[in-house]
Order: sequence, then C-alpha cells, then structure tokens
Amino acid sequence: MDAIIEFLGSEVDRTLLRENLELTPEQRVLELMALLGAAEEFRRAGETLAGTR
Amino acid sequence: MTDFARLLQALAGRHVDFIIVGGFAGTIHGSATPTRDLDIVYSRDSRNIERLVEALAPFSPYLRGAPPGLPFRWDVGTILNGLNLTLRTDLGAVDLLGEIAGGGDYRALLPHCDRVTLFGCDCFCLKLEKLIEVKKAAGRIRDLLAAAELGALLEERRKSS
Repeated sequence: MDAIIEFLGSEVDRTLLRENLELTPEQRVLELMALLGAAEEFRRAGETLAGTR
Repeated sequence: MTDFARLLQALAGRHVDFIIVGGFAGTIHGSATPTRDLDIVYSRDSRNIERLVEALAPFSPYLRGAPPGLPFRWDVGTILNGLNLTLRTDLGAVDLLGEIAGGGDYRALLPHCDRVTLFGCDCFCLKLEKLIEVKKAAGRIRDLLAAAELGALLEERRKSS
C-alpha cells in the first residue's frame, strides 16, 4: 500500500500545497468556504441555464 | 454551502469535546482538496453528548440521505444508540464519529492532536501524521488519494520549517 501511496504522491501538485502553507489555518478555511460558495453559484447558474432551454 | 465557522462556534460555544478529523482537518493543515462536510470525533461521555445535542439542535439535524419524514429524534438516546451519525444541518453536512479506523475514540486520539484557534474557537485537530495513518487504515481509494496528498503536504511542511 505504501508503494501505491508513494506513487500517487508523486502526482500531487505541490505548488498548491506550498501556497496553502503560507496561510494561517483560518485563512485556509476561509478559502475553502469561498470555493464552496463559488461552486454553489456555478451550480445555480447551471440550473438556471438548463431551465431556459 | 457548509458554514464551518458557525458549526465550530456552535460546538465550542457549548463546550462540546470534539476532535476535527477527515478532509476538514486536511484543509486546516493545508490540503488543497476541497471538502463539504465537517467530520468530528466526539467524546461519548454522557454529559458531552448532552452538550452536543444542545449545540446542534437549533440547526435541524437530520440523517443525511434519509427520506424526509423518517422518524428521527435528535436527542441523547439517538446518539447513545448509535456511534457514527452522518447528518445534514442548516449549516451544512456534519459527520459525528464515535471512533475511527486506525485511531479509535476521542480519548485515544486526544494525544495525537494539535490545538488550533479558528473563528475565535479553541479546537483540537488531528495531527497531520496521525491523519495520514487513519487515511491509510480506512483503505478506500479516496482515502489512499488523500493519504498521498497529505504525505506530500507533510514533506513540504518539513522542507519549509
């Protein structure tokens, strides 16, 4: 299992992790909530578009 | 959208003994993988369960994925009769875990926690090293993917310190 995890780890985009490590834990959570909020808006926009077709 | 800030404030405001685990613990440590639910391991002490019930009661907790109208009572007895409950609330999804694979219960996990202050609340969050262990123990594909990312995060953190 460790070999699989090591392989998967080699595929991880570490630039995002390095950026996150520059933030405080609270800033990381706020970023997550902003991302979820944006995803929710995209979902609603998609539903609106589907409703107009 | 899950309002993690208000959920944590609700729990901490009632002095609930809990540990943040799962994907949200990963976020706190710096994971780039988004999560939509708050996973906590809670103390099964009966007084703590009373506080947990009081903390979430204002937010209409209900079993996630269950059909509406199912007889579900949010009370101490329901939690005592169960162990792990997956809930939806007005503030978002919450998983209440009595214990987790590879980690055990609240008491067993407590020595493996960091103290973190979030939105004015002092919380316990599972340490990154232990989080990787429990992800490996869970063993599902998505857990292995998470363990891989968290392992990379641990390496990056060690490089930067």
